[in-house]
Amino acid sequence: MLEVAGIGRDYRVDGEVHTAIDALTFQVAEGELVCVVGPSGCGKTTLLRMCAGLLAPTRGAALVDGREVDGPPEDTAVVFQEYGRSLFPWMRVGANVELPLKRLGLTRAQRRERVAEALRLVDLEGKERVWPWQLSGGMQQRVAIARAIAFRPRLLLMDEPFAAVDAQTRADLEDLIRDLWARLGITVVFITHDIDESVYLGQRVLVLSSPPTTLRAEVHIGLGPERDQLETRSSPAFAKLRGQVWAEIQAAKRGET
Amino acid sequence: MSPKRSDRLNAMSGKRTHSHQPRSNRPRPRPVPPLLLGAAGVAAALLAGQVLPLTPLVNPRYFPTTSAVLAALADDLARAEFWRALADTMTAWAAGLAIAVAAGAALGILIGSLPPVRAATASTIEFLRPIPSVALVPLAVLLFGTRLPSTLLLVVYAAFWQVLVQVLAGVRDVDPVAADTAKSLRLTKWQRLAHLAWPTALPYLMTGVRLAATVALVLAVTAELVIGSPGLGHEIAVAQTSGAAERMYALILVAGALGVAVNLGVRALEREVLAWHPSVRGEAR
Repeated sequence: MLEVAGIGRDYRVDGEVHTAIDALTFQVAEGELVCVVGPSGCGKTTLLRMCAGLLAPTRGAALVDGREVDGPPEDTAVVFQEYGRSLFPWMRVGANVELPLKRLGLTRAQRRERVAEALRLVDLEGKERVWPWQLSGGMQQRVAIARAIAFRPRLLLMDEPFAAVDAQTRADLEDLIRDLWARLGITVVFITHDIDESVYLGQRVLVLSSPPTTLRAEVHIGLGPERDQLETRSSPAFAKLRGQVWAEIQAAKRGET
Repeated sequence: MSPKRSDRLNAMSGKRTHSHQPRSNRPRPRPVPPLLLGAAGVAAALLAGQVLPLTPLVNPRYFPTTSAVLAALADDLARAEFWRALADTMTAWAAGLAIAVAAGAALGILIGSLPPVRAATASTIEFLRPIPSVALVPLAVLLFGTRLPSTLLLVVYAAFWQVLVQVLAGVRDVDPVAADTAKSLRLTKWQRLAHLAWPTALPYLMTGVRLAATVALVLAVTAELVIGSPGLGHEIAVAQTSGAAERMYALILVAGALGVAVNLGVRALEREVLAWHPSVRGEAR
């Protein structure tokens, strides 16, 4: 589904070239839920922007369905951290979700049905006429998720989507993502700085190094499909995986190889 | 938000803050409503206008009493010439403003969304913009004589820059996250213009319209006064040269009332168009 092949990105400061991402290679199979974690400033967002076709890599490439990404790929949706800025405040919730459907050649009735369905999936049934700014932060991010899934993408890229909401809302949204992923069978790449979140959500966790960034480790999360905020998080298996990812990130911070 | 401001906002929206309502039998002295204070201010000014000319401080020949001015106003309101002059001024104002807003918005969006064009035009705009519209009076007279288009030229020139500069700033203000969102949703260029650039620039445009509406009125009256094209300004000049001081002041009052009406009108429009905007929806975030 998604293939990242030796991707790297440099940036210039005062004529000096800095390497943010050295070279990253990994694959995400169809229907997988993969989390990406790393020490802060390791270029997680840069990686996501390159996969989403919003930023051109300096070297290497990202491939979606075997095609090199040189602009936002078809069938790919992005959910950003800053939901308040990502939703258009001049459009009501329904219009926000409907916007990307307009180029699909659907009838008005079909679009309405899709919007209603997407809002139902994120537990915001019947909120079409509400303005985004009348909703809580968590609900706004749900609207952004509804907008992302309404045009039925096969790949969902999420950039620290829950970093700006409170802990309880965050737990609800995590379960929502697991639920949507299982129900819709889409591929999810989830960027986070939160180790617990990555272990709780993912089938696999990719740990990045400090810049110049490379892939430091890959942890398989064998926690099974059913996850529960209380039980899963207090299980010994969770603690062990959490410790493993933690150790990798600590080592990454110290710059060990 | 200061408590004073929130009280005022609540009063405006008809809401009441229950938390501060005194429950005892002795009501606290209520603050005087702003509308009442405003009316008191107007009344005081009118009274001063009535009393001052009766003292030796001012010459009633050049500064007639309020009652004389109001009488002249009532007289004018009954005359067809007055209404024709008012219509001429409003026509020049409305037509000039419409042209300026349409051209300013269209060119602003166009120049603003094409960075090379923006860079190429920036210095020219900065040079042309500060030219006082009144400096174009000789040109207007040369081109159109003392007819309506003369007024129109000055009005359009003054109002156009107000709109253009605001829209240019507005188009630049597109939020990068919103822009990324639009790109990742694969919106077409046209959709991005209609659903992202335009709504982002709209609050700026409305500011431009508000400024332009006032400036347009100033220039309409100025042009009529200086050039002698038909309208209120021309009537003021005529009243002055024929020594009808009362009528001159009456017409000045009318021009002032027009200015207030224009401002109120544009503010109402702003509230209507920008219902979603933080400045209008009234809740600080």
